Amino acid sequence: MTALDRRAPALTGALSWLTSPKALEGLRLQAFLVPIGIVFAVLFAIPLAQSLYFSVTDFNGYSLDVNFVGLENYRKIFTDPSMLAGLGFTLVFAIGTTVIVTALAIPLAVLLNKRFFGRNVVRAVFFFPAIPSIAILGLVWGFILSPLGSGAINWTLDAIGGLGPVPWLSNGALAQLSVIMVAVWSSTGWHAILYLAYLQSIPGDYYEAARVDGASPRQAFFRITLPLLAPAVTVSTLLLMTGGLKVYDLPYTLTKGGPGYATFTITQSIIQSGIAQAKFGQASALAVVFMLVVGAIVAVQLIVSRRVEGRLS
Amino acid sequence: MSPLQKMSPRWKVATAAAVVLLAAATGCGSGSGDGGGKTKLSFFSWESEETMKPLIEAFEKQNPSIDVEFSHAPPVAEYIAALQTRLVSGTGADVFVIAAENKTNLVQGGFVKDLTGKPFMANMSKFNTETWSVDGKAYGMSISSWSAGILYNKDLLAKAGVTEFPTKWDDFIALCQKLKSAGITPYYESLMGMPLTAAALVGHENARQGGDVDAQIFAGKKKFGDLWNGPLTTFNQLFTSGVLGKDVVSLKGEQIVDEFANGRVAMIPAGPWDVTSLREKAPKMNMVFAGVPTPDGKPFWSGAASPGWAINAKTEHEKEAEAFLTYLGSKEGVTLFNKKTAAMTTTSDVTPVIDKALEPNLQALKDGNFYLPQVAWPRVQDALNTEAVAQLQLMVQGQAKPADVAAALDNRLAQG
Repeated sequence: MTALDRRAPALTGALSWLTSPKALEGLRLQAFLVPIGIVFAVLFAIPLAQSLYFSVTDFNGYSLDVNFVGLENYRKIFTDPSMLAGLGFTLVFAIGTTVIVTALAIPLAVLLNKRFFGRNVVRAVFFFPAIPSIAILGLVWGFILSPLGSGAINWTLDAIGGLGPVPWLSNGALAQLSVIMVAVWSSTGWHAILYLAYLQSIPGDYYEAARVDGASPRQAFFRITLPLLAPAVTVSTLLLMTGGLKVYDLPYTLTKGGPGYATFTITQSIIQSGIAQAKFGQASALAVVFMLVVGAIVAVQLIVSRRVEGRLS
Repeated sequence: MSPLQKMSPRWKVATAAAVVLLAAATGCGSGSGDGGGKTKLSFFSWESEETMKPLIEAFEKQNPSIDVEFSHAPPVAEYIAALQTRLVSGTGADVFVIAAENKTNLVQGGFVKDLTGKPFMANMSKFNTETWSVDGKAYGMSISSWSAGILYNKDLLAKAGVTEFPTKWDDFIALCQKLKSAGITPYYESLMGMPLTAAALVGHENARQGGDVDAQIFAGKKKFGDLWNGPLTTFNQLFTSGVLGKDVVSLKGEQIVDEFANGRVAMIPAGPWDVTSLREKAPKMNMVFAGVPTPDGKPFWSGAASPGWAINAKTEHEKEAEAFLTYLGSKEGVTLFNKKTAAMTTTSDVTPVIDKALEPNLQALKDGNFYLPQVAWPRVQDALNTEAVAQLQLMVQGQAKPADVAAALDNRLAQG
């Protein structure tokens, strides 16, 4: 008996399983994953592989005649003060917006969930800042925060008490705060609507039962609303954190990264070095490092969120 | 029954759609090939279609066998990125723009044709041609230049009793103080980009030292401090003397122009691009240009040759591309361009029609009293410019000294 003959029953078995209705059904269902698989490969896996390759070369975006430079690009990005400043502000922005928006959006959603006259209009008003392009909002806020007499906020401060002008965008710390506050202003309404959707799925019976048991509104919020909103918190904070880490348009239109490098972001650095400065290799190295940092932060955030969710529910 | 007849109606529609799509794709794929007996010449511009359309139409009228395919991206970063992608993927236009930001990469990458000695280059000014040359070879045809100085509101200065604009820096600071005492905001300058006043002061120092200091810096014979320390100390007096507050760091160019148009500031750094909008916003304003005052009383300007038009080294339509450049540089082409853009053209056979306020700017171009660091630097332009702007903002905030700015530029150059 040959080896092939010995394996024949096993092969026949495998083949018959593959052609069985159950396996065919499984394959048919898996086929639905092919389009998203292709999208994932084209938009993520292949560019990631290319970035990894370019990050160890001196590719300048023009000449395809590239040389292997090892980890030189990685050394450069960790010794460049502007890139380190960009990394610092990006983290401050992402964490700052996530915390503040979450802290404001949940109470706002609870308020918007109550019955009052003109509720739908108020909901629309809070949602509105999420509609225009963030770059346009940056330009508009540039005028609002302007140190000139035409700057709305400084004009108001001057009118009500001769205060100011406050250097909203020309002082490093204030510029960082201003960028974060504009981002909070534009995102809070959107995230409140997200929470509102979750709030509306909480059965009213729970609150009714709590009221019968003598629970105060505060107790109802912390014992019913917040635990049942935990999945929404996970979704919202994940969106805020990932959006915050890749922020570019708002700081760029408001301050162009200044003063100095106070509001410089990693994405701005990647775009600037990769395109304007033709340092494609260096930009790729930064993109790889950035992706790892984002991946690590999001993974930690998800683990923490799941644990909190488990504890609350 | 034929296979087509056997098909269900749904399949027939699908097949027809596929054929149409395939035909369309094939048609599009012909790129700059022949279409209807005409040669298609692709042109990637950073001037808008509205600006270039009359020139293209006039050219096509003179050359009926050529059809110019126009495409556009706004300057600077978006244009540079789009051009870069197209060139690397082998779909670059036959004619495109060469600018300070991509000159080195285009030439080193072999993407642009050498235009040295071509008949259409004879009309170009020597300075413009040298700007777009590397190692003595010309790679771009530039038909205009610009210079920016200080634009002042003559009536506001007269209110403070000033009738003569100063040429010396100390007198300029004194003028600002005088205006301030009279309750008039004297001067605004944006630091979101390279400040034009600082650029002019550095240019003046460069001219004083012989005009080739940048070349020596890049050759390692000098440091940025040798050129920048003095002018930046002078420039910083605007802030240390209290003429300008630290908050100007966040001012955008358009905000400053609006303040000037509304008579809320007496002087601003400005260039030809501001004149048209100011004429619309403040038609009655008595505005005058002057060079940036300098320590020795010889005013200087910031300015440069405008970007050039280059021919793709891999073009299959070299003859047509040269014909197009010949037209763009011709008397008719330059006159049309000047008419559409009010640019200060510098070709030998056309006297540009410009706003009266720009006459001092044109004179500065003729005298060669202008400079722009980004154009004077032979490489690493964008990285140096970004660093210079960031450091100047810190200097204005009092967090860096002029010597720190120069040292940061040396470090940036060393990083390459």
